[in-house]
Amino acid sequence: MEAGEPRLAAEGLVVHSNTGATAVDGVSLEVRAGEILGIAGVDGNGQTELAEALAGVRAVAGGGVHLDGEDVTSSGADARQGRGLAYVPEDRGSKGLVQDFSLYENNALKTYDERPFSRWGWIFPSVMRRSAAENLRAYDVRPADPDARAGSLSGGNQQKAILARELSGDPGVIIASQPTRGVDVGAIEFIHRRLLEQRSEGKAILLISLELEEIRSLSDRILVMYAGRIAGEVGPYATDEELGLLMAGRGAERSA
Amino acid sequence: MDEILGSLGPILQSTIRNATPLIFAALGGLFSERSGVVNIGLEGLMLISAFAGVVGASFSGSALVGLLTAIGAGLVFALIHALMTITFEADQIISGTAINLLALSGTGFLMVVIFGSGGTSPRVNGFESVAIPLLSDIPLIGRALFDQSLLVYLMYALVPTVFFVVFRTPFGLRLRATGEAPEAVDTAGVSVYRMRYYGVALSGMLAALGGAYLSMGLLSAFTENMTNGRGFIALAALIFGRWNPIGAAGAALLFGFAQAITFRVDQEAVPIEFIEMLPYILTIIVVVIAGFSGRSVAPAAIGRPYRKE
Amino acid sequence: MSEERREQEGSLQSRIIQVIIGIGGALVFPVIAILISFVIGAVIVLATGNNPLTAYSALIGGAFGSATGLGRTLLYTTPLIFTGLAVAVAFRAGLFNIGGEGQLYIGAITAAWLGVSLGGLGVAAIPLALAACVVTGFMWGAIPGVLKAYFGAHEVITTIMLNVIAINLAYYLAQNPLRQQGPIPGTESVPAEVRIPLIGIGLGRTNYGLAIALLAALVVYLLLWRTRLGFRIRAVGLSPGAAGYAGMSIGVNTVLALAIGGSFAALGGGVEILGVYGNMDVPFVANLGFSGIGVALLGRNHPVGVVLGALLFGGLNSGAQEMQFATDVPLQLASVLLAVILLLVTATRLVEFIIGKRARALAGARLEKGLGG
Repeated sequence: MEAGEPRLAAEGLVVHSNTGATAVDGVSLEVRAGEILGIAGVDGNGQTELAEALAGVRAVAGGGVHLDGEDVTSSGADARQGRGLAYVPEDRGSKGLVQDFSLYENNALKTYDERPFSRWGWIFPSVMRRSAAENLRAYDVRPADPDARAGSLSGGNQQKAILARELSGDPGVIIASQPTRGVDVGAIEFIHRRLLEQRSEGKAILLISLELEEIRSLSDRILVMYAGRIAGEVGPYATDEELGLLMAGRGAERSA
Repeated sequence: MDEILGSLGPILQSTIRNATPLIFAALGGLFSERSGVVNIGLEGLMLISAFAGVVGASFSGSALVGLLTAIGAGLVFALIHALMTITFEADQIISGTAINLLALSGTGFLMVVIFGSGGTSPRVNGFESVAIPLLSDIPLIGRALFDQSLLVYLMYALVPTVFFVVFRTPFGLRLRATGEAPEAVDTAGVSVYRMRYYGVALSGMLAALGGAYLSMGLLSAFTENMTNGRGFIALAALIFGRWNPIGAAGAALLFGFAQAITFRVDQEAVPIEFIEMLPYILTIIVVVIAGFSGRSVAPAAIGRPYRKE
Repeated sequence: MSEERREQEGSLQSRIIQVIIGIGGALVFPVIAILISFVIGAVIVLATGNNPLTAYSALIGGAFGSATGLGRTLLYTTPLIFTGLAVAVAFRAGLFNIGGEGQLYIGAITAAWLGVSLGGLGVAAIPLALAACVVTGFMWGAIPGVLKAYFGAHEVITTIMLNVIAINLAYYLAQNPLRQQGPIPGTESVPAEVRIPLIGIGLGRTNYGLAIALLAALVVYLLLWRTRLGFRIRAVGLSPGAAGYAGMSIGVNTVLALAIGGSFAALGGGVEILGVYGNMDVPFVANLGFSGIGVALLGRNHPVGVVLGALLFGGLNSGAQEMQFATDVPLQLASVLLAVILLLVTATRLVEFIIGKRARALAGARLEKGLGG
């Protein structure tokens, strides 16, 4: 399937980690409409910081981020979300969901201040509940109870709840970081299907994962990250050896 | 010039006297926090020990018995805090606050029951100043440093001792590891719970020394709420001193100085209320600087209960 | 009936049941804590050579048994609702507001000042003075908020230090620029029209400040669960990581939570001045702020819990006076009981722990039996 216009782009991105070290060292990439761009790599090579910087949750030390052509480098997560960027973070426990909030409150975590959930500073829980009930059913979250405490759900269901929240707003760009880590097989399948659906609807999807299987089965193109840089780009039919070498830092003939 | 030099000695003496309870409490806080348990209850521990010391001293006539009573009381209440936070995983700050409230109300209650009325207890034989021969004759600073109560001399000895224990002994290493990476300590076969109990128990005993000095050294009776925030000032000193005994002692001396000069500021020029505020404003400034300059990097695993997986 | 309507009705019913179970569950542990602490208290009373039954009946009778007693209880309860709310709102944002005492004094001195200087406006001065208390309390509460959000300064320490600073500041103002004529140190009394009216009916000095307190509790409920700000405050308090990822500003909400807490405590101070005392004497009241912490924790940081907790604190302190009169037991026993209750409430983890462990063990055993048998 032909990919369309680049919807998410990074140029020469430099991002620091919490300890001040350089986690992302000059990364440039493009995610196009209707494609899934996978980022493979061993944990700790800057994928987390890259995702956070692209989502607007972490400040950028150098370089820029563009969303649908607009420069969003200095915009926060809020603004980027408003422009149609969805982010499924790798840490659902302490970053993706407020564990002690109900599912309906989590469902409205980014949209609580917009209509129809809110007007003139007030929020309307009953409206939030109804909307959440719909989303939860659509994304097979069990139990599909808007009042259930998020922390009481299994890992897979929590992940589906996050997906429900992020995808229900019809985003144009989706960043999915380790979307099936610690998730049961049924939920993995469900999540994969949804991501592929989004792709066929023309969304641009950045998939970051430590699971080579997942990367291979979903991505149209694969970038490998090593030591904060793109070590190389391959197609989904690349061999284990090729991928392995790139992930271990032994540059291939091609590099980004 | 002579006037300034003349008052230097007394000010230094007063500084050390005021700083001593803070240093004891800060050293106590050090053990607790280094092991990963926040001890907001230092204030209450000091208060209870101050009271227990006076009770012990007034019934036995001996300041030493009072001191032992104080240490005992501090230990018991610290163990309550330890039980709540380590074994029952209660929130560490809430438990500490509960200890403070219990100390305040308990001492008020017992004051009436034991001594018949609230306010101030009867005077007791405390730890009078004992001048060290020769050393106390050093001009200017001799009297200030070496004509102090025995507890002050104990404090002089404790600061380097605590430094040595925490940073140069295996015990200290395990203690610090428990506060930084309890999982690693657990894997190495050392009981995280036991180390934390030690840390909190020591904090109770050291805070007790501070409380005992307050009611039996700096002053010679117990007054309701006599700690008046000193436990928190000690905590601030600990934070500013980066959880290091030398640093904490230094910060405590700064506060002691602020408290010392409150008695010397001309009451005509500055209203007494503003004088009273001085040590507390200083504490805020210190805590802000500590946070700002990144000094307040607490032990990594502090504040969270440890659960063996 | 259509499918949907039946579903909605069914879920409404189950929601009501859920709420009832929730309230019941929330009350169970504090009630157990209260019972246990009364048992401990009985032991203490025995140790002082008194009869626990006489002591407790005097205690409870004194608190609720007569109009004067009830009046006294409500008088003590009112400021505790305010300081309890001050702590509860901040706790919801994950912050410890120990500065209720100082914030109350700031409100008190504001009301003492404006009650007099706006005296010419008569009754209209009351809402104006109280509004001013909200403002000054907000500003005073914002200080530790800013220090925490932008300098990382621990709010437990800063709020406690600010308590002493606020009290001294208030006393300075009360004895210098605002000082009344005569030998008693304190501010001038506000004119009679600027006093909050008494409720009367034998309840002594209890005034409509109580109604303001209850209204404040309602405001807190609406704030936390029906406004955007409240949503943010709760999110930040429960999971700063997720709140940050959702684009919420931890810093701004930290400042606002502490500032709003300060407003409520200051309002409480204003109500005490205009409703009860008429002026600020030196020395003024004590420990209302600290007790507010106990009230909030006992009430689990929920406005309804805060009101009930304040009633408990107020009742015990009020009844303690009767108890001291009828027996020899010092009235400080009330404070001791309250502190023990608080300690036990924080150990509710213990009870949950034990229940949870046993339940899990039971469930595990049952499962094993099912598989094996």
